Amino acid sequence: MVDPHRIFGIPEVDGPISTALPPGWLAVLTGSSASGAPLLAKQFAHAGVGSLPVLFYTTYERTIDVKKAFEDFGWDPSSIQVVNLADEYYERVLIRGLEVATAREKGLSLAQITGDSPSGHTGSAFSLTSRMLSDLAAIDTPFRLVLDSVDFFFEVLSPADVTTVARQIRFRCQTIGGHAMLAVHSRAHDTRVVGALEDLADVVVDLRATPQGRKYEHTLSVEKVRNRPDLQQIARARVTEQGWVVDPGADPPAVHRPTSP
Amino acid sequence: MAPATVLDRCATGVEGLDNILYGGVPRGNMVLVAGSVGTGKTTLSLEFLVRGAERGERSLFVSVTESSDKLIQNLSTFEFFRTDLVTNGSLVFVDLPVLYERLGLEHEELTPDEIAILIRTIRDLVRSLGIKRLVLDSLTSVCYRIRRDERIRDFMLRLGQELSEAGCTSLLVSEIGPTPGRYSLHGVEEAIVDGVILLWNARRQGDILRVLQVIKMRGTAHSQAQYVVELTPIGMLLAPHLKGGRPEGGM
Repeated sequence: MVDPHRIFGIPEVDGPISTALPPGWLAVLTGSSASGAPLLAKQFAHAGVGSLPVLFYTTYERTIDVKKAFEDFGWDPSSIQVVNLADEYYERVLIRGLEVATAREKGLSLAQITGDSPSGHTGSAFSLTSRMLSDLAAIDTPFRLVLDSVDFFFEVLSPADVTTVARQIRFRCQTIGGHAMLAVHSRAHDTRVVGALEDLADVVVDLRATPQGRKYEHTLSVEKVRNRPDLQQIARARVTEQGWVVDPGADPPAVHRPTSP
Repeated sequence: MAPATVLDRCATGVEGLDNILYGGVPRGNMVLVAGSVGTGKTTLSLEFLVRGAERGERSLFVSVTESSDKLIQNLSTFEFFRTDLVTNGSLVFVDLPVLYERLGLEHEELTPDEIAILIRTIRDLVRSLGIKRLVLDSLTSVCYRIRRDERIRDFMLRLGQELSEAGCTSLLVSEIGPTPGRYSLHGVEEAIVDGVILLWNARRQGDILRVLQVIKMRGTAHSQAQYVVELTPIGMLLAPHLKGGRPEGGM
């Protein structure tokens, strides 16, 4: 049974948002380096456990590190399907690039020509998009999906193609009642690119670290809830043993959204 | 008067053709075997390699359009073919698409760098394996990916030079239409090669005859007469083309 009220597992944030969301929705999580967004992405995944099949796509961490991060906060990773797109991309595309470079530089022996490809992969037919969307197409029940992060997609796809992927994920969410979160670095891309993703999203959450004296203070902002601007909020956030929590009464530090380079 | 230089010959093993060429193709020559579909280009090329392998000249067939397995299967219908030539490495088959894939040559149109890589790889194979006879079937398919005339010219010049320096005699298969007038897809190929052997189908009194004619061969005198080709289990046989009934639609 889907619990529509568990979004992040942060009651002060989940409560207001959950009342306004349709059964299937897409969220975008923005955050810069050291903002703690990857942890919030994992917390979002964990919050779906028990009521939904959960897919966690990582593009820059080792799978073992992802699972350890879950365990560090007492979140059981066994119910979460961790898919390491970076590893698959390396095995299917980058390692082949190395093979090609070696063959071009050092030549090929007859055995190398007549035998199997060393990596077992041929051509560069691996498509990040197809890889993820084929998983999604195979799911026919409500699901939760995290893509951490979209930044890797921007490295290998055009911005328009990334937006198309986001659109397809959103459509799948709407069709069968899924919850998807796309994590994206808030400072690594043109604001128009991130803006396009935010436009597609039903919910936009931003996590930010601001230096305050000798420490960093964090701000969790619900920047968008589709059709409900009244549910925007900015809260001071901190990490506890259970993950991110917010302090509703505390004034958040002053935050300035950076402009795109 | 100094005696004329006698070039080393690479006997094709097809008796009639060797007679036309006074003993064979001058060693190191790059020869275009041009013809339309079903005229016996691949069969002639394969026999050239098998006969060479039997003489201890290691031979390489670079196939673009047909897989090695299928070619070997087709070869086994000829009495002159021996499987052990393949198993003992005297006759080597390489699928060019595999070579493209291993070298990452995936662009529809090969860049100059990629063309250089392809030539270098073929050269290294020829040198490292001690290849003395090479067939590229077909040059047309390779040229289709090189596209530009000046690059085709450069590719063939450099490939011909590398093969010649390695003492390797090569036949490059050129697929042409039945319409007479040219021997290759782009028209530049026949100008670069040392020789052109033309094969075509001629009609005479309701029959189709395969006809062979040596158009040019640098380094040797040769007959330019037309010969009727018979593809038999023992190999390719040539007989003079009797002019009494002139073929229809011939060259």
